[in-house]
Amino acid sequence: MSTERLFRFPKPQWLNSTNTRTGGIYLAGALFAVALFTFIDAATFSKTKNGSDIHINFVDWIPGIFSFLGMIVINSIDKTRLSADSFSYSGDNVQWKARVVLFMGFAAMAGGLAGSVTVLVLKYIVAEAEGPTLWLGVANVAANALIMLSSAILWISQNMEDDYTYNVAL
Amino acid sequence: MAGLKTIIVLSFILAIGFLLVILSAALFKNYLPLLVVATYVLAPVPNWLCGKAQDHDDFMAAGNSNSIVELGRFMTGFMVVMGVALPVVLAHCDLIKIPAMAMSIIGGLLIYGTIISFAMFFQEQEEF
Repeated sequence: MSTERLFRFPKPQWLNSTNTRTGGIYLAGALFAVALFTFIDAATFSKTKNGSDIHINFVDWIPGIFSFLGMIVINSIDKTRLSADSFSYSGDNVQWKARVVLFMGFAAMAGGLAGSVTVLVLKYIVAEAEGPTLWLGVANVAANALIMLSSAILWISQNMEDDYTYNVAL
Repeated sequence: MAGLKTIIVLSFILAIGFLLVILSAALFKNYLPLLVVATYVLAPVPNWLCGKAQDHDDFMAAGNSNSIVELGRFMTGFMVVMGVALPVVLAHCDLIKIPAMAMSIIGGLLIYGTIISFAMFFQEQEEF
């Protein structure tokens, strides 16, 4: 294992511990809550204190919905299936299927982030919104970016688990 | 007998937490901060349910690496942050006042801390 290493520095030992994995999952949930409530704040703000004519409507929700779907898809996949074709007992093209589904998940997530920037530009910057009204668009981008970050942390935590169980299984 | 003191202290903290949350609602005649109590009372539920639902027969998944347990942890992290984020959102949108926000956040954290301490305490009791 140590002679086949690619990088000069070894992976730190704490990255493989169970506690780091658990903490990572809690952190991912926390970040997801921050993302959701950033957007809910924007929606509530639009209903209550908003002085301008621009309001949150369904268009603003679409990027968030796509990011959320992408997050579900990415993190539902069993990570060991991504290299499944190297095992003899797996069925036809499981690896390929897993990669296609994973690609769709990543595409939905990247599409969500890009869509939120689109909404920010087309609905708020082009309309020359300022101050609190601009926040409605910025919150949308921030929420989608946070969902992406949460998903990345969840992914890393789950990969940690794989290394750990692999060592145990051997 | 060391457990008795812990129980008394924890119940006092729980009472203070509820007091702060109820005051944050009643002082301003605005009962939205009470949602925080619901959030924190529901926060340990996902971990508890998913802990019951985990597959004990699976040898490979032994040692907390079950995906349903991880779902429970994710939900718990979500709920805990939700308890802090909810008053902040309400205060930012002028639905509650800033002091009410501070009181409900502190009270909520006290309530949740008590629940977690109780869970840890009773878990330790079960082992012996």
